[in-house]
Amino acid sequence: MHPETFLRVLGSSPWRVAYVQPSRRPADGRFGENPNRLFKHHQFQVLLKPSPDQSQQLFLESLDACGINCAAHDVRFEEDNWESPTLGAWGIGWQVMLDGQEITQFTYFQQAGGQVLSPVSTEITYGLERIAMLLQRVDNVFDIEWSPGVKYGSVRLQEEVEQSKYVFGRVDQSPEDFASFHRGLFEQYEAFAQMLLKTRLVIPALDYCLKCSHIFNILDASSGIGVAERTAYILRVRKLAVAIARAYVDNGEVNEAGD
Amino acid sequence: MERELLIEIGCEELPAAWLPKVTLEFARQLEVRLNEARIPNGSPPEAFSTPRRLVVTVAKLADHQSDVEELITGPAVAAAYTSDGAPTKAATGFARKHDSEVSELIEIDTPKGRYLAYSRHQAGAASTAVLPAVLAATLRDLSFPKQMQWDAALDDGRGELMFGRPIRWILFLFGGQVVPFEIGRTTLAEGIDVEALQSSNFTYGHRFLGKRASEPVKVKSIADYRAKVGERFVVLDHAERRQKVQKALLARAEEHSGSVDLASPSVSALLEEVSDLVEWPQVVEGRFDETFLELPREVLTTTMMHHQHFFPLAGPGQSLLPVFLAVTNTAKSNSERVSRNAERVIAARLRDARFFWEADREILLESRLTRLDTLLFHKSLGSYREKSERIEKLAGWIVDKIFNRNDVRPDTCKAARLAKADLVTEMVGEFGELQGIMGGIYALEHQLPEPVWKAIYYHYLPVSPEPGARPTATDLGTGAVTWAAVALADKLDTIVGLFSVGERPTGSRDPFGLRRQAHGIFKILLDLPELTGLTARPSCDDLLAAAALPFESWKTDANVKEAVSTFMLERLHYVLDQRGHDIRNVRAVIRATGSEVKPLEARGKLEVLPEFTESSEFKQLAMAFKRVRNIACDLSDTDYEKAEQSRPDLGSLLTEDAERHLLAEIEARQPIIEDVIDAGEDFRRGFTEAAKFGPTVNRFFSEVFVMADDPVVRVARLRLMKRLERLILQLADISEIVVESGEGSVSHLTGDVGK
Repeated sequence: MHPETFLRVLGSSPWRVAYVQPSRRPADGRFGENPNRLFKHHQFQVLLKPSPDQSQQLFLESLDACGINCAAHDVRFEEDNWESPTLGAWGIGWQVMLDGQEITQFTYFQQAGGQVLSPVSTEITYGLERIAMLLQRVDNVFDIEWSPGVKYGSVRLQEEVEQSKYVFGRVDQSPEDFASFHRGLFEQYEAFAQMLLKTRLVIPALDYCLKCSHIFNILDASSGIGVAERTAYILRVRKLAVAIARAYVDNGEVNEAGD
Repeated sequence: MERELLIEIGCEELPAAWLPKVTLEFARQLEVRLNEARIPNGSPPEAFSTPRRLVVTVAKLADHQSDVEELITGPAVAAAYTSDGAPTKAATGFARKHDSEVSELIEIDTPKGRYLAYSRHQAGAASTAVLPAVLAATLRDLSFPKQMQWDAALDDGRGELMFGRPIRWILFLFGGQVVPFEIGRTTLAEGIDVEALQSSNFTYGHRFLGKRASEPVKVKSIADYRAKVGERFVVLDHAERRQKVQKALLARAEEHSGSVDLASPSVSALLEEVSDLVEWPQVVEGRFDETFLELPREVLTTTMMHHQHFFPLAGPGQSLLPVFLAVTNTAKSNSERVSRNAERVIAARLRDARFFWEADREILLESRLTRLDTLLFHKSLGSYREKSERIEKLAGWIVDKIFNRNDVRPDTCKAARLAKADLVTEMVGEFGELQGIMGGIYALEHQLPEPVWKAIYYHYLPVSPEPGARPTATDLGTGAVTWAAVALADKLDTIVGLFSVGERPTGSRDPFGLRRQAHGIFKILLDLPELTGLTARPSCDDLLAAAALPFESWKTDANVKEAVSTFMLERLHYVLDQRGHDIRNVRAVIRATGSEVKPLEARGKLEVLPEFTESSEFKQLAMAFKRVRNIACDLSDTDYEKAEQSRPDLGSLLTEDAERHLLAEIEARQPIIEDVIDAGEDFRRGFTEAAKFGPTVNRFFSEVFVMADDPVVRVARLRLMKRLERLILQLADISEIVVESGEGSVSHLTGDVGK
């Protein structure tokens, strides 16, 4: 998760931000063969803090701005609460369905880094591929028109194939060596994040925490870890995330008040 | 005078599954709070809901609180007057405080003595003044499965207001006038975009439909409200929405000469749910490619129902049609567009499913077992691999030692070992609700025999205790015995395992669904003959002990065993009660044996017991037996055993006619009753025999005084009571069945005897 969301939801300072974020989910890699599933997809992230009373209305107007006339479709907010155990974060909200397709996750953040949030933030995560497929009426994500004359596939297909091969261990290395290399990386990133945290460098520390999280996802997708270990890894990332959140609030919020 | 009350809490979309309960609660709690506030209602509150509103109306509500007479206690009479009868300062001060005279005060008796008191008559305030506090309390009363913070607070001294979803408007009318009410916002959040919420006389229609959707509309009365929201594409009443959906579904089905299986629990649950997902239901039809019909039916229906809330349609021959019906929340004129997009979504999902189906079938379940190592069952109980190994052992033991069917032991063990393998298939990874089912289907695809694949397919079932719950004997075919062993083993292992690491259900919390697991166990044991043709009747204790072998704390911590036994007995009570047995009879049968109860025997006893409980002979015995039990506890079990071992035997110690007669009867009837118990059948014969004790026992009590002064005589008589008690307890603790004479009311005799 991006620092602009993970850190900014903490504390009481108002914040509003929007940005495109690539999201990597190693376990969803499908070698570019599946029309909907991707190792990497793109989200348009919006954070509104404090959460405006008009949050839903603003979101619906944004769909209108994209060219989606809500009155001409079946638009629904269906219960779907977001949770990230590795980041000690969760929220209450919905998946926004358009004619039966989930296009956005809409969340009122309740906790992050193990901290109860006050005020509450609105987080809107638009699924860009989904929305593009809908607007362009294509059935395969690789057929999306990325820019005039250029298909999504020609931009991204190779990456999907290669990343899937990598994460599912189709590499010139034994599974044991593959796993042990990544375990090693995890250890190093974790230790480095802890060092950064001691130096009070919160944002770089979060970078390394996220690297840990990603390495964990790769180990998990490639079946490189057993049960007890899996839980232990989640707890280790969570511990980092909680410490980072606490440091940010102690640190950043004080600085801001001093401005 | 009475006026009408109308409250609408406008919310962001509340989860459909919450609406039925919160709607009832809204009406009920409002009534409770109105009563508390002394505002009489001439008609009951009526509640309605849609995803975006919780509504309650009271057609007739008093415009004033009822008056109240209140006694305020003052000084003690002794301290109120001086010796010459003049009021003291304490008395005059008290009177003055209440704008009264000492002569107007009255004297009352209290536990502390006689006191002066002031009787205050307080006229009720106008309801409008009290209603805001009533609403505040009612909002606090509403409970949601998951609450959220939304930076809101009430001015009721309790601060933050958590709720199911953010509240966006409050329509609050009493007699057509707005009742002022405010939900404040926390200081950190409040600002230009986050404001306190004031009650008003405005409501809103459907989010998108109508010319001026999202504009507020003024409301004057309940009737006006109903008309206005109705015009604005909101069907307020759940039943009406469901009706509308149902009608449309059936009409569409008919066009295809097909059917929607509304009788099936999952389809009717879906109907309830979709009716609470929309304010303006419209049914839209879509199609998918016929080649997808090659996928297992379970995959198709799960994709449609669980993932998309679509209804599948069966054709004339009961096979599925490549058609789905979707309930939407938009105008009919959008149908074509919505349907096209919905078809795209379902096609994508089915393509995914087909990908999983093809990929999964390439790997044998057996070769998936190593992968189960990486799947956690519970942090203290290890992986699903370990669980599989435990249930393989347990199922093997059950089929061999309990079912006496060593011949199917290999199939049972194989099914148990493979039962969890589908958890690491792609299909179950995506469609969790197909666990077990997919394993069974893949086992079938890999040519495993019916006793194996059906045991896997159905091993998560049954989930409800009713006699008709799936799977039926027909469903199970030749897989019934293996299934029963695997299903029992899995559930027993889950219950005993989780209890042994401290995961117990408490109150409404049962995160692992252990109650349901127990219901499944009892359903299997109670219906074993019908389901499998087996007559095995294991006791609860035996099964638990076998399931507990792998768990350390069972041996080291007696509380664990105690907790599991108590839990299982509670569940057995529940299941038998649910099956319509008289709860007194259920208690009688279960209390007799405690955790050694054999569920199938309990069923056998309960089926014949009602034939006896109404006869006067039996009632007589039940009354007498209560007395027997009360007296018998004066002799401890150890003293009894010791005495029974000693010489001379009981016969030579008893001298009175009545007691010798009773002993003779016990000795005559004992072999017959024990015979019935050993055989585990024909309990009618057992109860018939027991009922005959009635006159003899009565005679004994009228002629013999048990608690004789001579200790030898007393102990002998107590032994006689104890023998009788033990004999009848093999059948049931019939003292539970006693009906109070004359009143016909139930005696709630629990825990007063036999402790």
